[in-house]
Amino acid sequence: MSYIIEVKDLFKTFQTKEASVDALKNISLRIEEGDVYGIIGMSGAGKSTLVRCLNFLERPTSGTVTVEGRDLSSLSDAELRKLRGSIGMIFQSFNLLMQSTVISNVMFPLEIAGMKKSAARQKAKELLRTVDLSDKELAYPAQLSGGQRQRVAIARALATDPKILLCDEATSALDPQTTQSILQLLRRINREMGVTIVVITHQMSVVREICSNVAIVEAGNLVESGRVVDIFSHPRSAAAKRLIIEGKDPDEWQVPQEERPAPAKTGFLRELRGSRCIRIVFSTNSAYEPVIANMILRFGAPVNILKADTKDVGGTARGEMILGLPEGRELQQEMIAYLRGRKLDVEEIELNGGEVDR
Amino acid sequence: MFDSKVVSMIVQGIGETLYMTCVSTVFGYLLGLPVGVLCAVTDRDGIHPNRVVYRTLDFMINILRSVPFLILLILLIPFTRFVVGKSYGPTGAIVPLVISAAPFIARMVESSLKEVDHGVIEAAQAMGAGNGTIIRRVLLPEARVSLIVGVTIVFGTVLGYSAMAGIVGGGGLGDIAIRYGYYRYQTDIMMVTVFLLVLLTQLFQLAGTGFAAKLDRRHS
Repeated sequence: MSYIIEVKDLFKTFQTKEASVDALKNISLRIEEGDVYGIIGMSGAGKSTLVRCLNFLERPTSGTVTVEGRDLSSLSDAELRKLRGSIGMIFQSFNLLMQSTVISNVMFPLEIAGMKKSAARQKAKELLRTVDLSDKELAYPAQLSGGQRQRVAIARALATDPKILLCDEATSALDPQTTQSILQLLRRINREMGVTIVVITHQMSVVREICSNVAIVEAGNLVESGRVVDIFSHPRSAAAKRLIIEGKDPDEWQVPQEERPAPAKTGFLRELRGSRCIRIVFSTNSAYEPVIANMILRFGAPVNILKADTKDVGGTARGEMILGLPEGRELQQEMIAYLRGRKLDVEEIELNGGEVDR
Repeated sequence: MFDSKVVSMIVQGIGETLYMTCVSTVFGYLLGLPVGVLCAVTDRDGIHPNRVVYRTLDFMINILRSVPFLILLILLIPFTRFVVGKSYGPTGAIVPLVISAAPFIARMVESSLKEVDHGVIEAAQAMGAGNGTIIRRVLLPEARVSLIVGVTIVFGTVLGYSAMAGIVGGGGLGDIAIRYGYYRYQTDIMMVTVFLLVLLTQLFQLAGTGFAAKLDRRHS
């Protein structure tokens, strides 16, 4: 398998007057060509620093970053600039030239690359067609909505036909609907142009929606990485469990319990605390068989459905259910075995009062 | 109320004042703009931090800015004579005006460029832009509104300084105000020249801010 980006033993330490801060600690990851790779973590976890290490906007303190087979630390400044020109990047705050028209913004990277103005204009027009903004050529960014600005930024990032597109919280400043349309655009760019996309986000929904692989970063450490589908079915690290089972985006992790509004069904869930709970994940095409109903009939014992949900994971719908099992260790084991026998992913989980409902 | 001699003197004064102010502003920018850019670039958060360069320029600007213009005017007399051949008249005033305006301009330019959103600079770096490209295509154009407001402020300040040049026979409206108003107690002539100075400042202020607002694309 060919990896377009390889990060090995990456450390980044920021030196301030008083202290040194380890932003990234021993990060290693590999991104395949043509992949949509998510990096998720809460603000301050180091994910923005990590993505800036991928094009050396930040120089790592130690470790190597290899892009398309070239070790970035071995490149001269000029070579590095050239390489950066072949990696697109978009940002949370769009970072467009506010005093330039939409089309000049898109032409900018082409002119940096040394393209003639007329050719650059032609190319920019095509790109604006791709992102559906042909009619806004002569507008200024301030006249556009957030979603439109991000589209301009995407057109600009794609101008030099990059193989890689880095997205730093690209949808964080957008409302859910606009987020959807931007994500769809990114997916289309990935599929139709074969651009490898690295998505930095603090929203699990973004990862589920478009990423096929994900790395979870917590306090500068990479705590878990792998296929989104696998992590969705079997989250291993505490961070992944919080993300997937509790459905909490990283920024909600550190909110103290008492500051959150008490969930309505806390009492109900508290009763179930201590009883055995499992989480099952199934792809919707296995939903034809009424598995849970059949299981209840077969064992003659009730189960409690604590949560049931369908989520779009990497383009296919996945069902997820959290069940409270009836008393009796043996019965519980048999039920789990039964479900596993139906090819469902079964995971035992700990419940803390109120944490399953949202 | 004035005879034609006084009127033509005042008209000539207006011309001299404009000449001193405009030429000094232009030369001031020729010196101050590059220094201001260099300061913004070499400062700690700049695109090419360099402590030694920044500290040196910063120190020089502070020194020049803290010498009162009147003193500078007199201190520079030998230098002025060396550069333009004489130390009096409007042309003689231009040298100290430029020397005094340049560091002020450098500061204005530096602060304008520092207002540019760091994210946009980072985006340009991510595209592979070198520092020269970033200065020409990002810093200066993005800061243009603030830069033009800066020009307006500089112009007003230089206009004010040019009036002081009257002390050493610099010519212009300030010279007339001092010679007639102060030395000869002809208050009416002084009032007229002061009024004209106020009017000129107002006009340039109005034109400058208007032009800046017209160029600004940051509003929908």
